[in-house]
Amino acid sequence: MSTSSPRETAGTELTLDLESGALEEGLDLGPGASPWRLAWRRLRRNHTALFFGLVFLLIVVLCLLAPVYSHDIAHRSPDVGNITGTVKVGGKTKDIVSATGIPIGPTWDFSKFFLGADSNGRDTAVRLLYGGRNSLLIGAEATVLTMVIAVVLGLIAGYFRGMIDGVISRCMDILWAIPALLLGITLGTMIAVGGIGPIKGDHLWIPSIVIGVVYIPYVAKPIRGQVLQLRERDFIDAARQQGLSHTRIMFGEILPNLSSTIVVFIPLILANAILLEAGLSYLGVGVQAPAPSWGNMISQGLQFIPAAFSDVLSPGIMLVLAVLSMNLFGDGVRDALDPRSKIRIDH
Amino acid sequence: MKRYVRPLAALLLMALAALVVSACGSSGSGSSGNSGSGNSGGSTSTSSGGGKSAGGTVQMVMGVFPDSLDPQFGYTTQSAEATWISYTGLTTYQHANGTAGATVIPGLATALPVVTDGGKTYTVTLRKGLKYSNGAPVKASDFTFSFERAVKLPWGGSGQFMTPVVVGAAAYAKGKAKTISGIQANNATGKIVIHLTAPYGAFDNVLAEPALGLIPTGSAPFKNDPLHPPPGCGPYMIKNVVANKSFDVDKNPYWKPLPGIPAGHDNVDVTVNSNVSSNAEQVLNNSADIFDWADSIPGSLLPQIQAKASSRYKLINLGGSTYYFFMNSQEKPFNNQLAREAVVTGLNETAYSRLGGGTLAPACFFLPPAIPGHPSGSCPYGTPGTGNLAKAKALLKKSGEEGAKVTVWTEERVPRLQWGTAYTQYLNQLGFKAQQKEIADATYFQTIGELKLHPQTGFADWNQDFPDPVDFYGVLLDGHAILQTNNENFGEVNDPKINAAVSKLGQVPVTQLQKDSSQWQKIDEYVAKKAYVAVFGYQKFPFFASDRMNYPALKVNPLYGWDFTSFELK
Repeated sequence: MSTSSPRETAGTELTLDLESGALEEGLDLGPGASPWRLAWRRLRRNHTALFFGLVFLLIVVLCLLAPVYSHDIAHRSPDVGNITGTVKVGGKTKDIVSATGIPIGPTWDFSKFFLGADSNGRDTAVRLLYGGRNSLLIGAEATVLTMVIAVVLGLIAGYFRGMIDGVISRCMDILWAIPALLLGITLGTMIAVGGIGPIKGDHLWIPSIVIGVVYIPYVAKPIRGQVLQLRERDFIDAARQQGLSHTRIMFGEILPNLSSTIVVFIPLILANAILLEAGLSYLGVGVQAPAPSWGNMISQGLQFIPAAFSDVLSPGIMLVLAVLSMNLFGDGVRDALDPRSKIRIDH
Repeated sequence: MKRYVRPLAALLLMALAALVVSACGSSGSGSSGNSGSGNSGGSTSTSSGGGKSAGGTVQMVMGVFPDSLDPQFGYTTQSAEATWISYTGLTTYQHANGTAGATVIPGLATALPVVTDGGKTYTVTLRKGLKYSNGAPVKASDFTFSFERAVKLPWGGSGQFMTPVVVGAAAYAKGKAKTISGIQANNATGKIVIHLTAPYGAFDNVLAEPALGLIPTGSAPFKNDPLHPPPGCGPYMIKNVVANKSFDVDKNPYWKPLPGIPAGHDNVDVTVNSNVSSNAEQVLNNSADIFDWADSIPGSLLPQIQAKASSRYKLINLGGSTYYFFMNSQEKPFNNQLAREAVVTGLNETAYSRLGGGTLAPACFFLPPAIPGHPSGSCPYGTPGTGNLAKAKALLKKSGEEGAKVTVWTEERVPRLQWGTAYTQYLNQLGFKAQQKEIADATYFQTIGELKLHPQTGFADWNQDFPDPVDFYGVLLDGHAILQTNNENFGEVNDPKINAAVSKLGQVPVTQLQKDSSQWQKIDEYVAKKAYVAVFGYQKFPFFASDRMNYPALKVNPLYGWDFTSFELK
């Protein structure tokens, strides 16, 4: 079977290689089925990926509903603690934080410290959801930052080659050589004190910027590799001969052909960004107290094990679920878009 | 079916891993340092380490690294507990439990100073045959060098106890003199004469400070050298300092016991780990021997400790420590007295006690119970432990400072971080716009002690250097004691009434303090009324050791905590 070549004008995204196994059982290609439609069909048949995608979506929805839970159900805000207060559980009055500083455990009552309280008498469930908002938001912002900068740098490096490619690639190599966590800690510590320009050190944009920068080489280098291949194609020659500018060729002709790669990277980067944010916040250089994040909740809760498990367990489980579901969904997207792809994020 | 097995297995495995990790806990936390603490003695915080058993060496775990092991600079409890037995001064303290441990005795001098000239001249004679930990002989002129170095660095207490007190010290500090004219030392006779600008009642205690512990002339530069402590003359010597990680306090081979100052039994290896919960577990499980007294044992571990190790655990109220939030009286919004009163009125001290594992006694007065002048009357803004939030909000509204932006400075280790977080939350509830700034424990007090920073408010604590109110007021609330660096008067309090009281009452000898305690009481009540500080409690400290230690023989000094000379492995 032959490989059909991509359309020569802008808009063609995928090379459809029938020999690679696109002919899956039961997959009726039909005449003129677009690659995206094919990919969607493959994804739809991957029930595992879909399930975990829904799990992640559920986590996002729950976290977005944090203000609703806080205001209308729990009636507690994430920042206000009640250290000396009491709560009635099963007819008994209990201290929210005992005289020796042990916070109350889960009551399993949505309106009364469902997952218990933390050491400052704050509702763990409320902070879990708000912390999720912060963690997911930072992950998303970092992902957008990574993808935008990495794609641009990869395009420029792969298209122009030569010295420009050399400079950009060496910078990426330097960043890549430093372990992501170490680089994140270094940047986070430096920036958390003085901030960046008008952005104060404790602003949530700071961890987003730090994490976004850390993952640039992980995306830029594969993108550059693909651009190096694509620029040799006939349709690029044709575009040059038509007199199109470099910018038009890069962003009008080459970029659309990278869309599947970009789409595959997004969930993988997002999962890693959420994990790195948790690590940085755990170490005190991510989200700054009193703002909650899953990472700093785990850090603060560790001192109270074994007396107060839920302070550590609940953010830990949420973190595992979020990252795992996004990773598995990302694997499914990768399999759907390009089963031969070896795209990974290696640390 | 097969398709679901792998991801589900992965999910189950990760959940199990999360459970196991949570159950085992973890060690270390971020922050280098992740905190310094307590002023002095202050406590400091620090880094990691794990205990290791080694025969003949006591393993001590500390939550924070000393601010400095340079005797002429360090001023936290972690620094002092190592330096007071490594750098003996002309006077020192009795090695005894309880209040007897605050009794001044001759140190390197043959006897307590002879005081003449109406209290303005102190004369001592150095003992003969003394040697430093490097074998060099101790000379009288070394006292002058040590004193000058403490003034120049400067040591945090120099602004109160040294520079304005000794003739010529102020000129020397400003660079207008090459030496301190008020100190005369004769190496041939060993005689040292110190002239004071005015009588200073606590000067015998000042001479006992580790900062005035003698070091060889020229053995250290005129700048803080935290990692290379100079030789000293004491039962122990400090060596093998690894920043934020560990240091050793070994027996000084050149030390011969002096009356009241014994030699040590065993060497002490100090490892620093900011996870105090892990430290407490190590001592509980006998993989470390001594838990630093200035750290707090998390409440979650207390039931286990009380069940398994009650014979080697005690909570002791040394009576000489105050925990408080300073408020900068020179900076908005706390230059407004009504704003300060609002903070004090609504403060719920019981909350901070709970956060401290129940080891803090709620309080409102600056002088703690063991210090003469501690008031016995009621607090001006309500009984400690309650906190009237509604009234506090009304006061803040009246002050016009509602909505003011405030930065709350705090350390990173438990429970100081929790105290800072609770205080920040409280200020926001009150009506401020407060943000928390966490600083690594080992550098916290140096950071907020930089005058140019002008910190608005934050955590502070003080443990007595000696049982005299001038130790509290003179360093922490006297306008004359404000320093550009290493400042301890974080609130930049400069009240003429306080300054005058310190100047006048500071002349009273420690032995006559009770006679004038009512005057100190009036000052303390005045400070409470002016709400210069928001006191939240007096701390009880844990004295917790492993089974390897001869616990009944261990001594607790009321000023310096653990007395290393009493450490003895069974």
